[in-house]
Amino acid sequence: MSRKEFFLGVTAMLPLLLGVVPFGLVFGVLGISSGLTETETILMSSIVFAGASQVVFAQLWAAGSAYFVIASSVALINLRHVLYSASVAEYLKKLSFKWRIVLGYLLTDESFAVSIKRLSTHGERRPVHFFMLGSGLTLWIAWQLSTIVGVIAGSTIPENWELAFAIPLTFIAIVVPLLKNTPTIICALTTCLIAIFGQSLPWNTWIIVAALGGILIGASIEKWKPSK
Amino acid sequence: MIWLVMVLTGLINFIFRISMFSEFRNIHVPPSFHRYVSYVPISVLSAIIASSLFTHNGHEISYDVEKLIAALAAVACAYLTKSVSATLIVGLVTVWLI
Repeated sequence: MSRKEFFLGVTAMLPLLLGVVPFGLVFGVLGISSGLTETETILMSSIVFAGASQVVFAQLWAAGSAYFVIASSVALINLRHVLYSASVAEYLKKLSFKWRIVLGYLLTDESFAVSIKRLSTHGERRPVHFFMLGSGLTLWIAWQLSTIVGVIAGSTIPENWELAFAIPLTFIAIVVPLLKNTPTIICALTTCLIAIFGQSLPWNTWIIVAALGGILIGASIEKWKPSK
Repeated sequence: MIWLVMVLTGLINFIFRISMFSEFRNIHVPPSFHRYVSYVPISVLSAIIASSLFTHNGHEISYDVEKLIAALAAVACAYLTKSVSATLIVGLVTVWLI
């Protein structure tokens, strides 16, 4: 039964790898072009293990940003994991400490998305932690392998292929589908404006200022003018 | 130094991920937190998108027309397909062709 849950998790994750693998490749290429070594780029994928924040880390590092800017940008991006953690915690409370450490480490957007459904419908009757392990591990392996392939490609692909441009493109692919109503659109536009005009702020703090500005605007509009 | 920053950020991520597990359950998350957090991906990623398309030196804004056109094509593609791979291909091919 545990084995079956594990493989159900693996299978549930497979279609999502279509979005994960290109992103991992892009990160591998970007890491090298940002001046990180091959080891640093590859190990970042297991130490930090969070797509967008690794990309932001590499970009800010390459731009010579202050360490507190790098750390707080990454923290801001990953704040959403607190919500995921809160949602899955209920189903994991009977597990041993070791299990929860492993499943916590493997918690990502994708593994949360596929697991939460299974947890809430089968959490009572089946060993769903094996489902989480299967889906989380599948994503982890795909992320590590695609980073390694990206790193190898990154040192051989010629500059004029403009692969660094893949970063904003990947982010466009993530952001555009999220722009569903007025608050989200205004949030995006405000952030863009602050990010452009704030670029001369010291230590690259523009990223934090722009992000906080956008979040405040979006959340305030949503609060005062709830959208359907 | 990079290792220190990397391990620190990795640790922050890990703490977020296990923050609500039973040992730490008494941490209280206010409901408004959900609202703010839902805007985080949009804002952070938009900031990166904007800064990689436009540079501002304190006086004037400069940009690369080819990249701007490719980015617009990517926005259209993302809107229509919602696919990361398709958006990447459309954007890169546009910037190569122009």
